[in-house]
Amino acid sequence: MSMVSATSASTGLSRPASGPAIVWRQLRAFRILLPFVALVGVWWAIYASADFSPQVLVSPLAVWRAFVNLVTHGVMAEYASTSLRMIGFATALSLIVGVPIGFAVGVNRYAAHTLESFLRFLQGISGIAWLPLAIIWFGFSHTTTLVIVIYTLIVPIIFNTMIGVRAIPETYTLALRSLGASRLRLVRDVYLPGALPSIVVGLRLGMGYGWRALIAAEMLVRQGGLGDLIFGARTFGQIDRIMTGMIVIGCLYIVVDRLIVQPIENLTVAHWGALRQ
Amino acid sequence: MSIATIPPGPAGHPQARRTLHQVVWRLLPLAPFAFVVLAWAAYWTIAQPTAATLPAVHDVVAAVWDLAAKGELATHVLASLWRLLLGALLGILTGVIGGFVVGLNRSVSAFLSPLIVFFNAISGIVWLPLVIGWLGIGTALAVFLIWNTVFFIVFQNTVLGVQLVPQVFEQGVQALGGGRWETIRSVILPGALPYILTGVRSGLGFGWRALIAAELVGATTGLGQMIFGATEFHRSDIIIGGCLIIGTIAMAMDRWLLLPIERRTIERWGLVFDATKEK
Amino acid sequence: MIERDTPSQDKIVVSGFRHFFETADGPVQATDHLDLMIRAGEFVTLVGPSGCGKTTLLKALAGFIRPTEGTVLCDGKPVQGPGRERGVVFQELAILPWRTVRRNIGHGLEIAGVSRLERERTVARLIELTGLAGFEDRYPHELSGGMRQRVAVARTWAADPDVILMDEPFAAVDAMTRLTLQEELVRLCTATRKTVLFITHSVDEAVFLGDRVLVMTRRPGRIKAVIDVPGRAAGRDWESFKIDAGLQAIAEQVLRLVREERGATAPSAAMTHAIGARA
Repeated sequence: MSMVSATSASTGLSRPASGPAIVWRQLRAFRILLPFVALVGVWWAIYASADFSPQVLVSPLAVWRAFVNLVTHGVMAEYASTSLRMIGFATALSLIVGVPIGFAVGVNRYAAHTLESFLRFLQGISGIAWLPLAIIWFGFSHTTTLVIVIYTLIVPIIFNTMIGVRAIPETYTLALRSLGASRLRLVRDVYLPGALPSIVVGLRLGMGYGWRALIAAEMLVRQGGLGDLIFGARTFGQIDRIMTGMIVIGCLYIVVDRLIVQPIENLTVAHWGALRQ
Repeated sequence: MSIATIPPGPAGHPQARRTLHQVVWRLLPLAPFAFVVLAWAAYWTIAQPTAATLPAVHDVVAAVWDLAAKGELATHVLASLWRLLLGALLGILTGVIGGFVVGLNRSVSAFLSPLIVFFNAISGIVWLPLVIGWLGIGTALAVFLIWNTVFFIVFQNTVLGVQLVPQVFEQGVQALGGGRWETIRSVILPGALPYILTGVRSGLGFGWRALIAAELVGATTGLGQMIFGATEFHRSDIIIGGCLIIGTIAMAMDRWLLLPIERRTIERWGLVFDATKEK
Repeated sequence: MIERDTPSQDKIVVSGFRHFFETADGPVQATDHLDLMIRAGEFVTLVGPSGCGKTTLLKALAGFIRPTEGTVLCDGKPVQGPGRERGVVFQELAILPWRTVRRNIGHGLEIAGVSRLERERTVARLIELTGLAGFEDRYPHELSGGMRQRVAVARTWAADPDVILMDEPFAAVDAMTRLTLQEELVRLCTATRKTVLFITHSVDEAVFLGDRVLVMTRRPGRIKAVIDVPGRAAGRDWESFKIDAGLQAIAEQVLRLVREERGATAPSAAMTHAIGARA
């Protein structure tokens, strides 16, 4: 059956985009928030539908009030900054130490093969399992938390750096060697950019593990930080505080991951493509 | 191949040299473990630290043996594994089914995507203070946290996998007369499998961590509880032993559960790129 | 061969086909008032410059897209969507990577609910016909490009459609294998009497394979010329093709028409003569 014929008698090859389509595209920020608005709506409906004890569920309004309360009293800033400082410091240290180690290991086939299983094993133990030992050694202190988070971060970074270096096609290094490149130049021009996508993958993974290990450690060590905040609130049955804390934790993680790490990843992967799978 | 042209190498016969090389290659991964054990034993002998700070190697072995003999170790390991199994299976099932339902519908997946990203960001241990009020401590709590962790990761990966199946595969089957169900069954399901398996692998990694963390805080049995309970009595030997067991189980799961599945499916189909494989 | 259909029986009728598709910057016109007819049992090849809308036409015939304007009829009925009666062979890999050669070829029969015995028989016959013997249980990633396309062709033929649409199926295959595949395709079509629309960039291929060659204009494409090529039903091979003056003349004519569309000037008489004397 013949379909609707083309509208205008335009001789050009394309027509301008329709009005509504442009508006829809501009409202991207709105589109991201819409599902959350819907979620809050559902939350409110559930809360209003039955008589929940404040120990079980609170209204979105109560959570908002708790948030405002914590922020105005500087409590949120204090706890949040403790956590952020911890993860920031641990990440920096893990990168500075982990990447060179990963390189040193990755360059040599035998070293990489030797350490691969060991690193996997360490990754399997997961930082949080070492927490009890760290508590015995360092007590309930920031040192404990830091050690655990660094451990959790550094293993995936070393591992992925190693993989990244091993994945670089040998032809690249051979080509540069036959151009007379020195060891240092090889590192700078081949190894570093070539391994970068994998390093960033390791960083993202490490931060995923590390952030969770941090929250868990803070819950046990109770020396500040968002984990301490939400676990402490449990003791007093302050569900509104707990939920505020959870939302802040989620938002902070997304901010760090999406606005800092992912752009770096996109930059490297977009530029250098192929090595990522 | 005349005798005159091949000079005898240090090991003599070339075949023997090759096998020796193979044997060494196999044994190399054990070297770091051996090194750690030796360094540990050496430090212990020289520095003589207190039992609480660093127990001797044989102390750890003895402690583990003791627990195993009393049957306590089995109780803890089984409790942990049971929780992991339950939580992971639920997470995988709901994640794959949910991922398919949402993945096949672009507008729904676009709408839900920010929510999924957010809940993935708080998945696992972050829910503990809230859920402990609903479910108390113990297995239910742990299973919830594991399900939570595994579900969002598997869900996300499934959606990605479903949407990334090349359209041409679908079209090919449609041109053979295949309808919607046939397409889902023979194209999308196997096509999304590499991503689903990545999600399962990742989910188990995070789930295992969430389990240990959950048991540290809120359980009466399980490996996490075993090592945390030992803190009170400064039994570092139990703690270290427990950690080693945790690491071993994690490795075993990966090697004897996930790897075979990957090998029989996506590797056989040529869909895996593994940077660690020797070229 | 006794024609069951009357000579004026048109298998495929396309009239006034004009298609726009949506891009981020608004609609783009792919074709411009295409009209063509293909008779039952004909092998029609379609040549044209890049982007002229050949693939769009094929997709409309296959049923993957609905024409913005115009009608596309197969057996007198409008094409509503993809279906078994119109088989498609794609340029890129469209056979399923997770199925063996055997299971890929039999997929259409599986969908149609054909019994296993019958299926195995048909698959075996096609494996013979397409020279895939010995590779039945291999996976696509273990095969060369040429073999994969053989599987794709076999799969389509196994489903026994009346119409077969082929979108530059040999474009990604190496030059030597391509010649072999073309000869095999002619043999297959002579033996099985299908109606075929074959899209290609290569003028030689178009003249070698077709009963009629359709030349398309630049984008938005129309049919610029229709050229009859005699003798396909009697069989083809490249040696004879190269020294056949009549066929070479047709090839030059088609080449000239295509190059006009590409914007290049027509080759001089001297060059034409040189091309013709190449073999």
